[in-house]
Amino acid sequence: MRLHPSLAGLVVAAVALYTVGGANAQDAVKVGALYPLSGQVAKSGEDTVNAIKLAVDLINNPTDGVDLPLAGAEGLPNLGGAQIELVVADHQGSPEIGQAEAQRLIEQENVVALIGAFHSSVAATSSQVAERMGVPFISGESEATNLTERGFKWFFRTTPNSDTQTQDFYTFLKEIAAKENVNIQRIAVVHENTLWGESFAKAVNKYIEDYQEFELVADITYQQGTADVTSEVQRLIAAEPDVVLHASYDAEAILFAKTYKQYGFNPQGVLAIGAAFGSNAFRDALGPDANYFLVRDHWSRDLSTTKPVVAQVAELYKERYGKEMDGTPARAFTAMMTLADAINRAGSTDPDKIRAALVDTNLGEADTIMPWEGIRFDATGQNELTRGIFIQTLEGTPKVVWPFGLESAELVWPRPGAE
Amino acid sequence: MSETLLIQLLVSALGMGFIFALIAIGLTLIYGVMDVINFAHGEFIMIAMYATYIAFATWGLDPLVTLPVAAVLMFAFGVAVYYLLIRHVLGGAMHAQIFATFGLMVFLQAGAQFFLGADYYAVSGSLLSGVVRIGGVTVPLPHVAAIVGASLTTAVLYWFVFRTGPGRSLRAASQDRQAALTVGINVDRVFALAWGIGAACVGVAGSLLSNFYYVYPRVGALFVLVAYVTVALGGFGSIHGALLAGVLIGLLQVFAGFFISSELKFVPVFLVYLLVVLLWPRGLAGKA
Amino acid sequence: MAGQVRPRPHGRRIAGVVSIVILLAALILLPQLLQGRPFELRLVTIICLYSVLGQGWNILGGFAGQTSIGHGMFFGLGAYTSTLLLIMFGVSPWIGMIAGAAVAALFGIFIGFSCFRLRGHYFVIATLVVAEIVYQVAASWDFVGAASGISLPVKEAGLANFQFHRDKTGYYFIALAMLVAVTVLAAWLRHSRLGYILRAIRDDEDAARSLGFSPLSYKLIAMAMSAAIVGVGGVFYAQYVLYIDPPSVLALQLSVIIALIPIFGGVGTVSGPIIGTAVIIPISEYSRVLFSGSGRNVDLLIYGFLIMAIAVYLPNGVVSILARPSVRTMVQRVGRRFGLDPKTGEENSKQPAETPA
Repeated sequence: MRLHPSLAGLVVAAVALYTVGGANAQDAVKVGALYPLSGQVAKSGEDTVNAIKLAVDLINNPTDGVDLPLAGAEGLPNLGGAQIELVVADHQGSPEIGQAEAQRLIEQENVVALIGAFHSSVAATSSQVAERMGVPFISGESEATNLTERGFKWFFRTTPNSDTQTQDFYTFLKEIAAKENVNIQRIAVVHENTLWGESFAKAVNKYIEDYQEFELVADITYQQGTADVTSEVQRLIAAEPDVVLHASYDAEAILFAKTYKQYGFNPQGVLAIGAAFGSNAFRDALGPDANYFLVRDHWSRDLSTTKPVVAQVAELYKERYGKEMDGTPARAFTAMMTLADAINRAGSTDPDKIRAALVDTNLGEADTIMPWEGIRFDATGQNELTRGIFIQTLEGTPKVVWPFGLESAELVWPRPGAE
Repeated sequence: MSETLLIQLLVSALGMGFIFALIAIGLTLIYGVMDVINFAHGEFIMIAMYATYIAFATWGLDPLVTLPVAAVLMFAFGVAVYYLLIRHVLGGAMHAQIFATFGLMVFLQAGAQFFLGADYYAVSGSLLSGVVRIGGVTVPLPHVAAIVGASLTTAVLYWFVFRTGPGRSLRAASQDRQAALTVGINVDRVFALAWGIGAACVGVAGSLLSNFYYVYPRVGALFVLVAYVTVALGGFGSIHGALLAGVLIGLLQVFAGFFISSELKFVPVFLVYLLVVLLWPRGLAGKA
Repeated sequence: MAGQVRPRPHGRRIAGVVSIVILLAALILLPQLLQGRPFELRLVTIICLYSVLGQGWNILGGFAGQTSIGHGMFFGLGAYTSTLLLIMFGVSPWIGMIAGAAVAALFGIFIGFSCFRLRGHYFVIATLVVAEIVYQVAASWDFVGAASGISLPVKEAGLANFQFHRDKTGYYFIALAMLVAVTVLAAWLRHSRLGYILRAIRDDEDAARSLGFSPLSYKLIAMAMSAAIVGVGGVFYAQYVLYIDPPSVLALQLSVIIALIPIFGGVGTVSGPIIGTAVIIPISEYSRVLFSGSGRNVDLLIYGFLIMAIAVYLPNGVVSILARPSVRTMVQRVGRRFGLDPKTGEENSKQPAETPA
């Protein structure tokens, strides 16, 4: 059966209209994302990138039921509805590859901004490239304090840095001592020996000076990836601390917790930075012994009792990627939304305008899914409105217990059975 | 330092030491018989631990129960590796062998991550977890189990190597391959046997480790470095050397970690290794 | 025989030199082709760098037969030395390069002096162990930045400061120059008296000793050269990335790659390390770019499989492909067209037969 020529013509025209007419006259706005997608932290890298993809999706497409600025905007309004196009690059945790990929993304992929990089060491080199080439770099999860101490003009960080996070520990401890009427004096810090653990330990040592009532009785560094922590724990026991501050990744968190149990080590409290002591893997491995550990986290689904939008986004994430969101994806999500907001306010893809817009960022408490007062960058590019939360595992579930006033359950202190 | 503390440190040191020893014994056996260093040995540990975990997660089997199964499974795996890979690089230069097993290591690690993901998995509430009270001192059961398990396995191995026919063939082949061939020993089978036994030792170690450690694709890398040092310290090819060295290293790292620095607790181990081999280039008990 | 072409040394040499000149010219003009393609420029720069490292390793591992899987420590020693000198005393990275090479060489000699008496696998493990010690010390010593590493100060771009920013072609040329220098050194070494003695020691140490050569002294010389070259590579890296920390300059992975490259390409040959890098690096880079985002380590799967395959089928390295009869005849035919004598012309086709690896 031969198609009648005019019918054929109509079909062709229809197809042409469909492909060309529907598309926007405006070019897509390309944003480069630098994350570790292979090697040891591949999973975490993937989870983080997924959160960013979710943010981009929410902006690009008509979305209902998410009360965030730009959600459902179907593209950036001030750029004629231009879609955001995410270009993802894997840096494998290597600062050198990060540097190379940053340059490639800027020069070959023509991205207007970069977001990354999970590892602080990679953020250091890749943001240096961005600085030299005059392209904005936003980080939602690279915490090393010195990243904002370099005098850079193009580097912006939404997440609180190591120092700020450490201060939360002392603030919290002070408030606990007052509220529960207990004597907290001897502090011990246990940390792994890579950049992350080291930054934490440095900050712990630095800020304890500000608190007369606290005394650092032990500073134990351990080899990341160690198979046995007997000597570390025994040293800790010998120091008789009231409180232990921990910086450990998943694997060693489990090991330490088990070893504490074996030797009957039970201080008033164990407070950890990072998600390990409150993660699913931790709870699975320790069962009921996972209770009462305190984790300083950035975000929790629990916050939705006071902020419904938290649940809205968490639910979408869970639907799409099959797992629960946690602190790092949540922060990356927020960083992406912040960047999109700035590009939109700039109304252009000109780097200088985007940068100026970033400097002027002033998002409020209701504009993000974080428990922060908002987002506003200080002169060094650091967001100064952040707030930490402490989560305690109670009866197998993580509950927000601090700041007092935002809690969803009451803090249990000291740990049951502690002296 | 209190008595309690000393005993606790000792038990832990011996527990870890025996595990290192068991892993090293498998390695040294292979080396002793055929002069090959298995760089993928750590991945054998990883596979044994994954197998133990999967048995636990799917059928609720306790690691103690899985132990003999793991040993048999790993035996088969070791033999397979020999026939599929190692056989083809024997008689070549040392670096060809090094890189054959190195390639295997990368491949197995990547494979584990590909099929099983990068997450950490730990067996919880196993029979051999928890603590045991001996004369008022609390010691972790997994470490005690490791000491017992590893000692038993070594004893069995000794019996096998020195008291059975196949064991004799093994020793013959390790002493003089040509002569063994002349006497009619199927050297090829002997080599496969060595790999099988070496891997089986690791199977036992893996099950014992599962009582107190977690598995993830790179878990092998941690243990294998220590295993190499253990083997070299004990003397390549010597079973009792590996045992001695393992225990020594276990003691060193725990006590160094306690008294000197946790972060650098392996540095004394390495230094001792260097010292020993400089004085006795064949290790503590290495074959000539 | 009357009809046969006789080898004409002059003609052959000229043809050999011409082909090398053409190759060099192509390499020098390469950046023009790669304008605006920083990914590819970086790729060739990295290939040059790793080839240098491979050549360095090869002097000890290939020519002298001492397998080391701890060479990463020399890389790190070079990088940290020049960086610390720069930050603390403002010393130029070029002087730092000499210092870095010296520190690496001295450390190598120290290790060699104590460990060369170890035979076979004991030595290999010793190199591993010493490298681990260096790593752990660096990661816990505040003076060198411990785990946080050191950030190099950004200076004005140019040869004097050994830094290039927007346009990284400068780095490429420096790496290329380093590669040429090291390759010339390796080629010289191969045919020099020193090279012959090293090979003699490698093949039969006792026989060499009975002939009156002190194996230890010669091995130390090889070690010093090897360490120095890798140390220089480390200095280059520091200036290239402007940030160093233990995982990036002292890791075991690095040591393994440094050894893998010449072994893969062809141990004890001059072109082995270059070929090894030219194959391994692009595979690793492109598979990362292609499989990026899958998080499934497909590239490592391929990598591991490849290494096993090479170990089994090409134990003498990729270079040994050229020793195969079929390939040999093909090369000879090509060589004859350019006036090169099949027996003594192309170096590559000669080596594998001469050096059972």
